[in-house]
Amino acid sequence: MESLLSLPWFDFTISGVVIGSIYALMAVGLALIFGVANLINFAHGSVFTVGSYIGWTCAVALGLPLWATVLVVAAAGGIVGALIELLAIRPLNHQSRIAPLLATIGVGLILDQIVHIIFGANPRALPVSLPNLRFSIGSGTIGAIDITIFVTGVISALALYLFLFHSKLGMAVRATAQDGDAARQMGVGINAINMTVFGIAGALGAIAGLLVGIYYNSIDPNASFEIMLKGMVAIVIGGMSNVPGAIGGGLILGLIESYGIALFGASYRDLFAFAVLLLMLLLRPNGLFARAHAREAEPMTGTFVTRAKPVRIPAWALVAGAVLIALVPALGQPYLTQVMTNALLYALAAMSLTLVAGTLGLISIGHAALLAVGAYASALLTMAGLPVALGLVLAAAITAVLGAALTYPAFRLRGHYVAIGTLAIGEIVALVILNWTSLTHGSMGLYGIPPLELFGIPLFSTNASYWFVLALVIVFALLQMRLLSSHLGRTWRAIREDTIAAETYGVASNYYKGLAFGFAGFVAGISGAVSAHQFSYINYDTFNLLTSVLILTIVILGGLGNVTGAIVAAIIVAGLPEVFRTLAEYRMLFYGMALLLLIRFRPQGLMGSD
Amino acid sequence: MTILSLTRRSFAAMTLAGTVAALSGAAFGQTSGEPVLIGVSGPLTGPQAQYGAQWKQGFDLALDKINAEGGINGRPLQYVFQDSQNDPRQSIAIAQKFISDPKIVVEVGDFSSTASMAASPLYQRGRLVQFGFTNSHPDFTKTGDYMWSNTVPQTQEQPLMADFATKTLGLKRLAVLHLNTDWGTTAKNLFVDAAKANGAEVVATEGYLPDEKDFRATLTRVRAANPDGIILESYYADGALIVRQLRDLGIDLPVVATGSVYSPDFLSLAGDAAEGVYTTVYFTPNSPRPEVREFVEGFEKKFGQEPNSFNAMAYDTINTLAAVMRQYGTTREDIKSGLGQISGFSSVIFPDVSFDPETRRVSGPQMTGLVVRDGAFTLYEQ
Repeated sequence: MESLLSLPWFDFTISGVVIGSIYALMAVGLALIFGVANLINFAHGSVFTVGSYIGWTCAVALGLPLWATVLVVAAAGGIVGALIELLAIRPLNHQSRIAPLLATIGVGLILDQIVHIIFGANPRALPVSLPNLRFSIGSGTIGAIDITIFVTGVISALALYLFLFHSKLGMAVRATAQDGDAARQMGVGINAINMTVFGIAGALGAIAGLLVGIYYNSIDPNASFEIMLKGMVAIVIGGMSNVPGAIGGGLILGLIESYGIALFGASYRDLFAFAVLLLMLLLRPNGLFARAHAREAEPMTGTFVTRAKPVRIPAWALVAGAVLIALVPALGQPYLTQVMTNALLYALAAMSLTLVAGTLGLISIGHAALLAVGAYASALLTMAGLPVALGLVLAAAITAVLGAALTYPAFRLRGHYVAIGTLAIGEIVALVILNWTSLTHGSMGLYGIPPLELFGIPLFSTNASYWFVLALVIVFALLQMRLLSSHLGRTWRAIREDTIAAETYGVASNYYKGLAFGFAGFVAGISGAVSAHQFSYINYDTFNLLTSVLILTIVILGGLGNVTGAIVAAIIVAGLPEVFRTLAEYRMLFYGMALLLLIRFRPQGLMGSD
Repeated sequence: MTILSLTRRSFAAMTLAGTVAALSGAAFGQTSGEPVLIGVSGPLTGPQAQYGAQWKQGFDLALDKINAEGGINGRPLQYVFQDSQNDPRQSIAIAQKFISDPKIVVEVGDFSSTASMAASPLYQRGRLVQFGFTNSHPDFTKTGDYMWSNTVPQTQEQPLMADFATKTLGLKRLAVLHLNTDWGTTAKNLFVDAAKANGAEVVATEGYLPDEKDFRATLTRVRAANPDGIILESYYADGALIVRQLRDLGIDLPVVATGSVYSPDFLSLAGDAAEGVYTTVYFTPNSPRPEVREFVEGFEKKFGQEPNSFNAMAYDTINTLAAVMRQYGTTREDIKSGLGQISGFSSVIFPDVSFDPETRRVSGPQMTGLVVRDGAFTLYEQ
């Protein structure tokens, strides 16, 4: 262990501060928005990307000087931010708190895709001539741009702090944050205030994109989500709405990652980030810098579930629908059958998510992790020699147990915090799969997974696997509807509506949440396991964050908690892009728009929530 | 009755050919009849979209040449590009589409091993050749005898790169940074084995995630292991980030990067930090071979930029398949058996294209050592 002491800790500290100041710069904008709108702006990463590309257009394509570039980028970022508030956030004022969060995910997808279409997917260089100053520190150097990033972060945080606490407009902002209605009665124009704040945050995010692009001499349209996540972890550490705290949070995250790499190596980096996020949510949800007895953030009661009568479909119509779907292979179009198989596998995953997100009210953005657990469990068991039928059942059972155990830490979280917590859990599962090489073969993935068969009957032909998946969907849909109409369903809804009231009536809410995640885990595990046998090759990235977002879109489209809705929506979401293949370039744009428009105009989904 | 249906069928064929020609906008002065169709499954959208775009450039240039030379024995050669987003769920659906479409005679792609290998069992059962040209996963061709690949196998590439690092440059204590993906991990393992066999010591190996941007801490860790040379198993974008941050940290060791950094984008992204970086490639536009000259000049004329190795591989793939079809026929089975027999065809990357019928992989690439001098890749001479 003598080598531990001999590590160049000072150099690791510098590395941590350099990357930490980038996180801090992201975090300031996120914290500002959270402070005012009580919202994690998932589109902030995309504003960052837009800023970097506008910076490229000004500095490289148009050859503007740096000062002009900074001004244009700030102005454009401000406009984008204000537009996000005007178009995506303000119309959702009277919906539940989770609605704007989902809307920002949609806006993020749209912005990223627009950048993608205009500029292409190749990373670009962003050469901007800065004074070529480099300072030796430790055994490395830091340059002018590193210092600029750090100073920009600190100055903007200080300026915002002064603005919020020592100016009249700032007071109005804080009043709006505390109680919008009261502020309005006092004559505060809260819409203008919110728009201003989003504009400032947008300008900051865009400048961050420009500066970080200059630092790396590289901008690319896929950086949004990663950098947004790191900013989010930073504000969780610093206290969600604590603007100066965001700087501390960013630096602490940078240091934790750097020291983590020092001890364990580079591929563990994100594992530390998300583990820290989860721990903070559980132990210090108000952040490290909150005073010991700081006021608990007001719990976000109620969920996204919008009260609306679910569309009741008569039994005969359901049966007829099932028969029609079962007849798809008779059309003699294997491509269509395969698309429908995919859709039904999504339907299983969506049924599972609609139970926890809709019936129980815990919006999860990490559901793909359950698919991954099921897929790996069945793949590993059957590759070790177990028959596929047994592998599927055991995998589902393992996912049920692990699903409940893994999400247990998130049970005590509410509202936004559930969404962030499950997102962290999802990422942690993927990273554990990547790093647990002895079990999962790490980045090599699992190859040669046996094809589907039941008790010696091969099911891997296109039609047989289709009917098998359809049978699974029907069985679990019936089971889930039966559960929902039992006392269990009523208990779950009671917990969703008011956990404290339910507990007062003697409902052990954690136990029932565990049951729900157990059932949901079983169904999602089967879906993942069947996918694994279909693909024959899986790796840690087969079920990723985009899969999670897609499943959530399906669930919202179908109507939260609505089982038939989940199935119908899965067929639409998985099937429509196939129909519109010619629009390939615009497919992600289409998902983003769909998500945004749904939340805006039909939050209860197509079939109504239940 | 017979005459009528015959007429109708040939009329339909003519209309179809007309549509395809009109769509592609290319001139088919010397070709006629129903086009020979290649199905391509690859990313046009999503995070890997840039590779799909680079494929298209290589494909289109190859088709210009092939169809100007009379296509496949008089019939025009065309491809149908289906966007898989590099997603296995979509690549298997595309596989069903191609298999059931009798006009598709061979399939090319997908990009990553995940997306490609998920579709392999379908192509094997559907008896349609799946021709991968970016599939370095050692198991890619093992699913069955319809999986073929002209990716230079890492089993051949990495030992040659290790020879360059340890014998040509004489490095003794190596630190290896690699993408923590199936590609990067395989490359790292093969390189480490070969370097050790050559008597060198590997003092550090660090895997990093594909979306990683910050390498300062990782490089600090690498420096602490006291290497005398740094090996990068990286793509060009992450490779550029690493060499920049190396120089920021004041690490002045020789860097040997795998051939995927060989791209003009690497030079622009890395800037001055690229100076002195070594790489070994099986494709370089500097090569005097006539096949290479023709490709590079054609590419620069059509697209106004220098081609990279993805362009070259895409170009080579279509040319190789065209050569097989011209020599052995255009049915699915003809192509499968033709791939096992072809010889005497000289492509951009391989002086003599041939496949081992057992492993269904290409053999015999040549490696050239390059070094960045004055902002350009130049041939390395001792």
